[in-house]
Amino acid sequence: MSTLITTRPPDRGWRLFVRTIVARAYPRVIGQQREKAWIFFETFLPFLATVGYIYVYRAIQAPEDYIGFVVMGGAMTAFWLNVIWAMASQLYWEKESGNLALYIMAPNSLMAILLGMALGGMLATCLRALVITVLGTLLFGISFAVSSYFQLFAVFVLTMAALYGLGMLLASLFLLWGREAWQIATALQEPVYFISGFYFPVKSFGFAVALAASVLPLTLGMDAMRQLVFASGPSLGFLSVEVEIAILSVLAVVFIAAAKFWLDFMERKAIEEGTLTDRRR
Amino acid sequence: MFKTFSRSFFPAAWLGWQIESNWTDPFLFLAFSIAKPIASVLILVFMYNAVSQAGPDSPIYSYIYLGNAFYIYVTEVMAGASFSILDDRERYRSLKYIYIAPVSIPIYLFGRAVARFTTGTIAVVITLVAGVLFFGVPFNPLGVDWPMFFAALALGIVCLAFMGIIIGSWTLIIRTEPWFVGEATAAALYLFSGAVFPLSILPVWLQPVGFLLPMTYWLELIRRALLGPGAAAFPTLSAFSNAELFGILMLIAVGFGIVAFVAYRYFDRRAREEGMIDAQSNF
Amino acid sequence: MSDQPAIKTENLGRIYKIRGAKKGEARQRVALADVNLEVPRGEFFGLLGPNGAGKTTLIKILTTLLAPSTGRAFVAGYDVARQPQEVRPRINMVSGGESSGYGLLTVRENLWMFGQFYGLDTKTTYARIDELLQIVGLADRARTKTSDLSTGLRQKMNIVRGFLTDPEVIFLDEPTLGLDVGASRDIRHFVRRWMDDRPGRTVLLTTHYMVEADELCDRVAIINNGRVLACDSPANLKRRLQREAIFKLEVSPLRNGVLAAFEQLPGVRKVVHSPQDGRSELDLILEADEALGGVVTALNTHGAHILNLQKREPTLEDVFVDLVGMSMTEAEKAGEQELMGG
Repeated sequence: MSTLITTRPPDRGWRLFVRTIVARAYPRVIGQQREKAWIFFETFLPFLATVGYIYVYRAIQAPEDYIGFVVMGGAMTAFWLNVIWAMASQLYWEKESGNLALYIMAPNSLMAILLGMALGGMLATCLRALVITVLGTLLFGISFAVSSYFQLFAVFVLTMAALYGLGMLLASLFLLWGREAWQIATALQEPVYFISGFYFPVKSFGFAVALAASVLPLTLGMDAMRQLVFASGPSLGFLSVEVEIAILSVLAVVFIAAAKFWLDFMERKAIEEGTLTDRRR
Repeated sequence: MFKTFSRSFFPAAWLGWQIESNWTDPFLFLAFSIAKPIASVLILVFMYNAVSQAGPDSPIYSYIYLGNAFYIYVTEVMAGASFSILDDRERYRSLKYIYIAPVSIPIYLFGRAVARFTTGTIAVVITLVAGVLFFGVPFNPLGVDWPMFFAALALGIVCLAFMGIIIGSWTLIIRTEPWFVGEATAAALYLFSGAVFPLSILPVWLQPVGFLLPMTYWLELIRRALLGPGAAAFPTLSAFSNAELFGILMLIAVGFGIVAFVAYRYFDRRAREEGMIDAQSNF
Repeated sequence: MSDQPAIKTENLGRIYKIRGAKKGEARQRVALADVNLEVPRGEFFGLLGPNGAGKTTLIKILTTLLAPSTGRAFVAGYDVARQPQEVRPRINMVSGGESSGYGLLTVRENLWMFGQFYGLDTKTTYARIDELLQIVGLADRARTKTSDLSTGLRQKMNIVRGFLTDPEVIFLDEPTLGLDVGASRDIRHFVRRWMDDRPGRTVLLTTHYMVEADELCDRVAIINNGRVLACDSPANLKRRLQREAIFKLEVSPLRNGVLAAFEQLPGVRKVVHSPQDGRSELDLILEADEALGGVVTALNTHGAHILNLQKREPTLEDVFVDLVGMSMTEAEKAGEQELMGG
């Protein structure tokens, strides 16, 4: 032990940030490899649930593009679930298991821990989104008419940036919450599916409500993607794609900055109130 | 026998209610309990309004609305049962102590699901009232066949309890993401049970799955009781009389009861073999 | 900052609000009050006190997990409340009776993960893991899933996690809690060796095992009800009682109420009674040997027979009794009752 091998000083700054993301993603990735039951629950069952909505549209004789809307919405549920379960409410579990204290006490950033959790779950998330998209497209003969791949890519990236910023903002609240975090995460599921228009165009809400719903990044993200991907998309779109991209850019910056501010604030508050380490089962 | 039932069921129902309700004040509790079901019914209302010009008078509208409203019970009971296992095993770490107590685990699970059934009932009632007041669901309380309604409801709940026991037992051997099992299964079965569209819309080769599920007959009976002749606009089950539907539902209840018994025995044995009773699957 | 003490506290206090306190019940609980400590670098420092004395609260504050309500605390020269980012790279903590990491990962994987959170490069991390696992006797379980480890082995992994980052100050919060004698001894040996090999490193150990504190610590602070009652080397603390005479008596079972009568006897400072199977054990702190005669007479008067009598050297337990007026077990019970009474 007299040696306690040291080759170079420990990393700090962005290198530590990246190391932390990779390290926290690791148990997720390994866990998913060692226990494969999730493949069934995370891909096949959600696909069936999405198909349920497709047949609702069939039953009311909706135009075929609406089937495509549902498939896209079903695929995007994966990202929302990843945010609220794998990132936000996961902090509650970490607190319960005693790991949160060790994370806070270490010199890393809590943002990196949260991103690690989310990225670790990304394999399952992407697989779920991919299965729903591919199977939905093949089985229901969805036709795409992509008007701009560049814009589509930009919308997706901006939506994800804003979404994960929002997720970190939510996670900061979970530092203070105990058992209620669970109920709140559950209650954030379907209402957001509704408000963000996962299965129908948000234009149906009317301008004012749709604008309010646009605070959630997935609302405009999906609306823009539908406009860019489906032939009838532009006629059912809420705002023009360019405007939606602009708003999404603002949302991304605001949510990420707010997340950083709030995480620091909530960490301080949790340390003051002593909620980081108490377990309220 | 009765003692086992009472010491398994009543404490479980009491505990379930405490866990469900005491995390916040009653107002917030109510708001959270109904947010999810109300949102899911609103999704369908907006899907319908975005496409259909027929308005709420079309028979398919009330078909979808009522089917979805009563499907809340399915989600609540199935999610409730799997959540009970998860809660006790992973969050409260008390499943092992319940296991070694002289209780019947299936009855315990049934008791825990009662709390979710209660919150489910609140959500169903609110959804129905909102449907009548705000969303144009045609409903005449004087035209409702109440005895048939309650008989169908009770029989359906028994079936759901058996399904809850199956899902709860299954959760015993699932290590990863078990919190999604109940909800994901309920959401997947939504497709096959004719809850929000008539089974005849499904491809022919998928329809038999629907005919094996109790929800298919149960929801049909509920619709017939509530809407009267208006419910018979779709051909899938129109050839069956009410009595025949009750008969089929009873047979299925017995079938699911047997399956629940066998499933519990099987999953219980496997859970103990694999050391899952006190497992922790956080990662 | 290397000239600064490893740990310093100034009038440190912490008050917890009691959630859901009803009218008439106490709304807050003082967990720590006016704690002034200074621990130089390279010291093995012990905090000794019953459960609920405030030891863990103090550790939480020093490890940046809990903010003090009053006063200030410094670790490695940095203010724990205002400069947590400076404190964190320099410390680590091991708590007894807790698991860390993920059951699905192997011992080596869990330890690697925690190493990453401190910015250690992978090569260094693995080299240290292998070295430390070897020392604590866990090398053959490196590839075992953590969920498959026994409590003792899991705690050894937890110990390795704490020492992996080679912290300047390490906090050990009841590290041997719930472990068997062998595993506890292994852990004590490991920590002592680490200190010997790494001069300048500091350990703060909390324990309610007297022997552990006596064996390991350079200095010990005795804490009860959130207050530090004494702080000195174990030898000096025990020397306080050198003038007193300490006896251990085994007698036939005593009736209730007899004890109070003993404490009134001249020359008797404190009597601690521990009922055993079919007999009673009495620890007596007397002002002088002569006072023993009165106790023996009183025992006879109450019909108790002396089975064994022994004069012994003072222990830290005696120091605690002398300072608090009751044994550690009694202090724990008193603390619990106070909590239950609000």
